[in-house]
Amino acid sequence: MKFVALFFLLGGFFFTTVAAIGVIRFPDFYTRLHASGKGDTLGVAMSIIGLAIYNGFNLISLKLMFIVVFIFLANPIGTHVLSRAAYRSGIKPWVRKGE
Amino acid sequence: MSVNNGTSRRAELIQFVVLSLALFVFWFILSGRTDAKHIIIGIVTAIVTSWICRPVLRLKSTTNRGEVIAAYNLPYIKLIPYIFWLLWEVVKANIDVALLVLNPKMPIEPLMVKFKKSMSNPVAHALLANSITLTPGTITVDVQDGVYTIHALTKSAALSLAPEKGEGEMPTRVGKLFNEK
Amino acid sequence: MLDNFFVVLMVGLIFIVMLMLFRVFKGPTVFDRLNGLGVIGTDAIVILVLLGFLEKRVDMYVDIAISYAILGFISLVVIAKYLEGKGDANS
Repeated sequence: MKFVALFFLLGGFFFTTVAAIGVIRFPDFYTRLHASGKGDTLGVAMSIIGLAIYNGFNLISLKLMFIVVFIFLANPIGTHVLSRAAYRSGIKPWVRKGE
Repeated sequence: MSVNNGTSRRAELIQFVVLSLALFVFWFILSGRTDAKHIIIGIVTAIVTSWICRPVLRLKSTTNRGEVIAAYNLPYIKLIPYIFWLLWEVVKANIDVALLVLNPKMPIEPLMVKFKKSMSNPVAHALLANSITLTPGTITVDVQDGVYTIHALTKSAALSLAPEKGEGEMPTRVGKLFNEK
Repeated sequence: MLDNFFVVLMVGLIFIVMLMLFRVFKGPTVFDRLNGLGVIGTDAIVILVLLGFLEKRVDMYVDIAISYAILGFISLVVIAKYLEGKGDANS
């Protein structure tokens, strides 16, 4: 059981790190949203599932699972609200030059 | 907006009771206490909250003006296989994005695409927009009158969601889920 | 047994938060800053729960994490709604 928890925690940490690197590296606002909207959702959800498995089955794990469900519902909505606000303020998407 | 025929009033009452029960269970999970004081406070809070939230749960149809759709009216059983399919898509999406981020040359060519999907239930629109954001290489930028504006990271991602003719896999699945053409 | 691993994980997450602070301070548009803040908010949830496991008080820290998640999401939505259509003063 500990090893399953370890696997989930490591996977979650990997995806969170990838999201952070993406937010630093990508060239414009919309592409950065790709990194944070996907990588962060799965990364945080996997980390918290790993912690819930480590904790065993009780009330605290139930609350942790509630956090996971909330993240899966709320993070895409946050991404969408941000991108829509940027789109309606007239921020242009970046395109690769020289084509 | 007044609802005066008897059946919808009855449906509203059932919805009120179910919402109160759900909120009370939620309270119970969060508090974790079983003494009388906490349970009474929980019951009162649940009833007051669901009473205040009644108008929020009556959604307006997006295609047919004036028609009212209840927010709790979802195909719960058909939703379960969809969620598992979605989880698998989310894992694939993350591996895709991880490969793009860690690739030193970063082979991305972002573009915006639009496609139209007319569904009357606002919950279906919300579900589709959320799913698009979570799946490979696409995020929803704007939804207006059923027209989706999508920002895609690569060209193949855009084509898989909005091909030249017909419609992509995900809008079809959500449409089937809610029994809309 | 996993305690040392939790400490390592927490240090890594705090490092990620520092990276995001770089984006928050530098970010060319105001929406980039907001995006960075959102990532910090979601990572802080994991940091809080890990802190709870280290201090052996998970029952308390989980409640804090739940309220932090809800508050972070609501503030993100409210600020984004406020900025919608206003454009950006910096660019």
